[in-house]
Amino acid sequence: MVGGLKQGLWLAFVLASMVLAILFLIVLAGANPLQALRGLFDGAFGDRYAVAETFVQAVPIAIIALGVAPALRAGIFPVGSEGQLAIGAVAATAALLTVRGVPASVALVTGCLAGILGGIAWAFIPALLRAHLRVNEILSTLLMNYLAANLVLWLLRTVLGTHEEVATPRSDRLPIEALVPKLVGGTRLHWGILAVLIGSLALAYWIRSVRGLGYDVFASHRDLAARMGVRESTAVMTTMLVSGAAAGLAGWLQVAGLQGILYPSVAGGLGFTGVLVALLGGLKPLGIVVASFVMATLATGSSGLQTDTGVPASIAVITQGVLLFGAALLFAARQRRARTAISELPVQLAK
Amino acid sequence: MDAGQISFWGVLLGGAVRLATPITLAALGETLVERGGIVNLGIEGMMALGAFLGVWGASTQSWGTGLLLGAIAGGSLGLLMGLAVLKGGVNQIVAGIAITLLGIGLADYLFQVWQPSGRSAVVVPLVPIVRLPLFERLPVIGGAFFAQSPLTYLAVVAVLVTSFALRRTTPGLKLRAVGDDPDAAELRGVDVIAARIVSLILGGALAGFAGATITVGYLGSFSSDVTAGRGYVAIAVVIIGRWSPIGAMLGALVFALFDSVALLAQSGSIGLPVEFFSSLPYAMTLVALVLTARAHHAPRALGRGLND
Repeated sequence: MVGGLKQGLWLAFVLASMVLAILFLIVLAGANPLQALRGLFDGAFGDRYAVAETFVQAVPIAIIALGVAPALRAGIFPVGSEGQLAIGAVAATAALLTVRGVPASVALVTGCLAGILGGIAWAFIPALLRAHLRVNEILSTLLMNYLAANLVLWLLRTVLGTHEEVATPRSDRLPIEALVPKLVGGTRLHWGILAVLIGSLALAYWIRSVRGLGYDVFASHRDLAARMGVRESTAVMTTMLVSGAAAGLAGWLQVAGLQGILYPSVAGGLGFTGVLVALLGGLKPLGIVVASFVMATLATGSSGLQTDTGVPASIAVITQGVLLFGAALLFAARQRRARTAISELPVQLAK
Repeated sequence: MDAGQISFWGVLLGGAVRLATPITLAALGETLVERGGIVNLGIEGMMALGAFLGVWGASTQSWGTGLLLGAIAGGSLGLLMGLAVLKGGVNQIVAGIAITLLGIGLADYLFQVWQPSGRSAVVVPLVPIVRLPLFERLPVIGGAFFAQSPLTYLAVVAVLVTSFALRRTTPGLKLRAVGDDPDAAELRGVDVIAARIVSLILGGALAGFAGATITVGYLGSFSSDVTAGRGYVAIAVVIIGRWSPIGAMLGALVFALFDSVALLAQSGSIGLPVEFFSSLPYAMTLVALVLTARAHHAPRALGRGLND
């Protein structure tokens, strides 16, 4: 018990010093921390539009995180959402520019499917490599991200590039019927938020299903999982392709829900944030939704912070790192307590 | 073969050797860390912070200060990761991602505080090139291998020394024991936790130093994402090189050779799209990773927590 208290104090000390470090960085940039907090709040929740923007940011992050969660639960670590999102966005854009003139319902289904297929296609290679050749999926997916970024650049310079005279490479504007309808007028919040709801329910169902349990066991006890009927190659392929599908779907929404065009930075770090959010959310649906909202707040808030006080918005990335560190430490401490509790069990039983 | 061709190969090889230097140094650090049983996914962040501090140090003091600051910052991040993983019980991969975010975030943030956007980029003087007499005159390879930055020679020496140390010295053997069978090492009186933390500090310092060699060694300036995934490439290179320092150096040359091709392709048209060449180094690293995936030379306790 005393050990637990000491450990708790240590943890509190570490977390407090991390918060202090962030405050110090804000002061270093010549801003008043209170004013900075104000700018952060204004940026994220200042008015109706800002609140909607925060939701807009949260949607792709949550979709990616919900999609990557089954893989992480199974102890598989794909970090390729960034590239899969970009390729999903490419596939959706290409499909929607090709089928021009169809009814809106057809265009929505086309874009959605194309995005998902694009994401799956980009996840397929690392999944196959991991399942059959044991190539480390962390590294292969990271390397695939760089290939995707170059592919997008090349496509925007050639076949997918607009014919208009523009300074930065981008695609033609999507036809109006291809755009995802807005949920709230006067903002950019679109119906894509529905995918978060569906994804959360799907993940909740998955966690409780027999298969899902088997995959959880697979993460820590391969042999036991094998006896439960979980094959490694199947587990790797399905979870990695699901994460690709989710990222591809998010890619379609980024194009058809927001900008209406494809541009080089369409992924813009969302893929990494998605994996981060899945971890922060404890790989559970509710946690992920909350964590994605926190990350989105950080994103919109930090740009408000930059406009208001001149503190660089990259403070958000540092804060992400600190949050992940803090959450991981807390999680590990809780796990350790649980383990001690179990190991003390027989002693208590003997009494 | 005319003179033009000779100089083409000379430029290509020279570029490859130069570009291989930071990856070799970072991969050397990662070899140490992984030999001790830990995967350090934070390299990318450590390199980014080192790259920024290299420029900042070189601009305010000298390039030596820049390199030193890079190494100190990387080592500090390594210590942080070591404490989180080995004392705090945090998953290594998660800790690595957190370190990457911290490093990249700090580098970008501090750079923007130092140089608010809109100003012209700071360009710092590079570490001067040292020409080795006689060797430099060798055809084709002379200029490529023997008229390089002292950082490159330093990297080669570091690789050879580490290679020897891992095989023939007590600390080296202890580290390998810790990475292969921590329980047995513990029984024989090796402090597993201390060994792993020290390996992370060393690996971090090398990664931070490697980041600084990008900016102070050949670029002369810092920008966001200046490391462009070289930290991840370094981890891949350790696997490709089968956890040996010399193997890592050769693996780094594979990436760097295609990186050098990509740089040359930017300056003149070779017929294929420039994006194809920019993809080549990453694609070839992936291919090399696939080709070496089947071999099992990894430290046996690699990536596993002490309680698993």
